[in-house]
Amino acid sequence: MRKDREVRDAKPAIDGRRGFLKGAGIAAAAAAAVVAPVAGEAQATESRSDARKARYRETDHVRRFYATNRY
Amino acid sequence: MARMKFLCDADRCIECNACVTACKNEHEVPWGINRRRVVTINDGKPGERSVSMACMHCTDAPCAAVCPVDCFYTTADGVVLHSKDLCIGCGYCFYACPFGAPQYPRVGNFGSRGKMDKCTYCAGGPEADGSAAEYAKYGSNRLAEGKLPLCAEMCSTKALLAGDGEIIASIYRERVLKRGYGSGAWGWSTAYKETVKT
Repeated sequence: MRKDREVRDAKPAIDGRRGFLKGAGIAAAAAAAVVAPVAGEAQATESRSDARKARYRETDHVRRFYATNRY
Repeated sequence: MARMKFLCDADRCIECNACVTACKNEHEVPWGINRRRVVTINDGKPGERSVSMACMHCTDAPCAAVCPVDCFYTTADGVVLHSKDLCIGCGYCFYACPFGAPQYPRVGNFGSRGKMDKCTYCAGGPEADGSAAEYAKYGSNRLAEGKLPLCAEMCSTKALLAGDGEIIASIYRERVLKRGYGSGAWGWSTAYKETVKT
């Protein structure tokens, strides 16, 4: 019985906390929706073909690496 | 077209773990993830051998074959990369990889492990080369800067080779032919004399 009362008494507190979290979630989502396009512009992802292009070049730096590994 | 490969000369590796440390530092790899690690067999016994292991950038990568969201792609120079934006952290690639290369930031079940992380051959990811977004997700892009993976570049005994597969294979072939004793590393016979046979 006492336990039931405790649960009933605690309910408004739980609702309040959940309401707050729900509100915080919506606010965060809204903030992300506002920020996302700006971030997207700054961090452009390469196209599929660009991402697959070869990046290796035999520069002087690389040639020196090969040379130091030989006898 | 050059194909990027790693080759670890097990006769030269001294298990110093500098490659592991350099990789973590270069890419600011988070706690719990090692993109590279040194595996030792017969530890403390005669015939002990160490080999530095990471993603081997397979030609027909099994991780890519099992990925349900197709987040892997192979570059023209043979580097296997993945997109963390597409990864769902299912863990299939970890089970498929014979080298244990894919790593996850968290311990958990399907989808709760976080985005998979692995060696990128210091070649970044699908974001623009050298961008802050690329660095945050995949670490530095040394290949685009005309350099090679840092783990190999700073290996003190020159055990770890990286670069064009044909060139590093020829370097290793040269070593094997010249060796004939010990590791072939400078000073090996002075340090170990006859006590260590290879």
